[in-house]
Amino acid sequence: MPEPVLDLQRVRREIEAEVRARRAAGEYPPGFSRDLDELFARFSPPEASDDFDAAVERAEEAISMELVIPTASNKPGVGLFKRVLAKLLGWYHVFVVQQVSALGAAITHALRLLGNRVDELERTSGHTERARSEGARIPADRDDATWEGVVTRALTGCTGRVAVCESGDGVLLAALGQAGVDAYGVEPRFVVADAAIAAGLEVRVDDVVGHLRAVAPGDLAAVVLRGCVERLPVGEVLDLVDLATVRLAPGGLLVVASVSPEAWGRGRTSVEADLAPGRPLHASTWAALLTAREFDGIETQAFATGDHLQPLPSTHPDAGVLNDNITRISEALFGSSSYVVVGRRPISTPTSTS
Amino acid sequence: MTAVHQFVPTLAPWDAVGGHYLAVQAALREAGYRSDIYAHEAKDPYKKRALPYRSFDGTGGEPTWLMYHSSIGSPVAEFVLGRREPVIVDYHNITPASFYARWEPYVVGQLALGRRQLAKLAVRASLGLADSAYNAGELRELEYDRVAVVPILFDTATIGRTAADPATVNRLTTAKARGGSDWLFVGRVSPNKAQHDIVKAFAAYRRFHDPDARLHLLGSASSDAYLTSLEKFVIALDLEDAVDIAGPVTEAEKNAYYETADAFVVCSEHEGFCVPLLEAMHHGVPIVAYAAAAVPETLGSAGLLLPSKDPFTVAGAVARVLGEPGLRTALAAAGRERLGRFDLAASCRTLVTEVGALVGS
Repeated sequence: MPEPVLDLQRVRREIEAEVRARRAAGEYPPGFSRDLDELFARFSPPEASDDFDAAVERAEEAISMELVIPTASNKPGVGLFKRVLAKLLGWYHVFVVQQVSALGAAITHALRLLGNRVDELERTSGHTERARSEGARIPADRDDATWEGVVTRALTGCTGRVAVCESGDGVLLAALGQAGVDAYGVEPRFVVADAAIAAGLEVRVDDVVGHLRAVAPGDLAAVVLRGCVERLPVGEVLDLVDLATVRLAPGGLLVVASVSPEAWGRGRTSVEADLAPGRPLHASTWAALLTAREFDGIETQAFATGDHLQPLPSTHPDAGVLNDNITRISEALFGSSSYVVVGRRPISTPTSTS
Repeated sequence: MTAVHQFVPTLAPWDAVGGHYLAVQAALREAGYRSDIYAHEAKDPYKKRALPYRSFDGTGGEPTWLMYHSSIGSPVAEFVLGRREPVIVDYHNITPASFYARWEPYVVGQLALGRRQLAKLAVRASLGLADSAYNAGELRELEYDRVAVVPILFDTATIGRTAADPATVNRLTTAKARGGSDWLFVGRVSPNKAQHDIVKAFAAYRRFHDPDARLHLLGSASSDAYLTSLEKFVIALDLEDAVDIAGPVTEAEKNAYYETADAFVVCSEHEGFCVPLLEAMHHGVPIVAYAAAAVPETLGSAGLLLPSKDPFTVAGAVARVLGEPGLRTALAAAGRERLGRFDLAASCRTLVTEVGALVGS
């Protein structure tokens, strides 16, 4: 009798479904993973790239070099030989150590000066990190009900994992799940993420960029970018699209769902608008970005606001001319509220490991 | 007679690439090439198997090729770059320096140097050999013109040949008799192997599936700072009685761990090949692994590959495998079948074919 075929994909899907169900039932506490992460982080050294002062301090500590030459040995006579050698060469050792230490001290001093100048620049031109954290608190427009159908249709039939970044309250994520798409969410705000997790959705509480960096190149069948693309500074948006591109499998889909810049401006208080570190891009800009990265089959779908100026009745003697102008003014005032841009990563592009 | 000499940073008995160098030498010699090993450093008991790399003068008078093995920054690479002989690069992967940046800053320079040297060698190399398609991809990114995959020459028949240490077997089976399953991971204690993520998943497993389970982490530490953090993490989780960070062990002790393990769990973020997967396959231990770097390629469909390291998912996967005898048996069988694909003789033939096509006989 032939052995049954081992369907590991099915087993994996069942395991993930069980995890989702147990989360939804409250059996798995939402904060459990985060608590583990935080606990391990307590025992980890600070990330060098995150903390400039800590990195320079470490460099300064490393400057103090050991002057005592190790002379111990298990082999008879070798210890004595080493001690004699150390005595004879001690003056040279001290000479070299002093020069290396002086070089190290000079470099770290220069680094400190450079750090001070960067601090000053950040103070005068706006601190990116602060602006980003202020911006993250601003609730982004989430027009999921409008996008849901278009995004779901675009992703139906995707074979492989789909990352929805940021997944917010999980409306889009749930719709994708119902359509049979193997989607999971990434959401940096744990309060929002916990609500989605409690609803049984698979959501990673993580920064979008940090999460995508951790994903292996070519590992995702599709990436949906939403939320964060409405508030990131332009430089970070460009980094994000490059990162997402590399994480896509050849032939994978990149989907951008965003409110339009006009609708974003209308929907903000002046305080929110002024403190936001970035603005949404136009749909045509996204199309250009994807074209530049050799994406195929780029499609854009815009959604109207529903608001418009009332045209004059056709009985009005100048209705034709006036209504044309009213239409133009209406378009300028209300325009589209949001859009979805979809592009396919070319199959021939080699996978990078950046 | 044509000579293909190997140049290696270190020839040591405890790592898989050390055995690979010797197997390459044997395969090349058997194919009729003259082949010596030149090393920066050779450790006992291999000291007499290698010559100092600077002693190579290339005055043999025969057509000579240099095969450089890349796994870390080394002065040997600079030496090879400075020679006139044509070069073959055998790439065993260099752990990205970013994994070590905050744990062992002094290692970062050496790893970064290794990557720079690998890039420089692209111009000189007539052929790039890689242990895995994953590694081959990295060579192609560096614009190596000709790249071939030759699995690491590892004699799978030697796995488990040493009898399991009876004292260790006794200790482990005594613990098992009290209940609870045994998780195992074998590999250097290193940030890229992410043992802390295994501990997280294990913590979830103990809490939600099997409160008596045990975790065994075998392997020497390549980062003392990471090891210290891992130990503190285990203590803070109150798991010091359940998590055994055993460090380096003998072959006999390692086989004892494999013989008593219920699941082999991998959460590595970066592996160039992952030889312990083959060991787990040999011992019939079902494998649950995070699908990253070369792990999916080595494992194939002989284990449960997970796209996420979410502790609940990893714990749930282990619980599923251990709770379903049919699945457990099927995975063990798939592992043994997969192991057959890493047959040493076949890999040696591939190596000799690739080298022969370039060098001639």
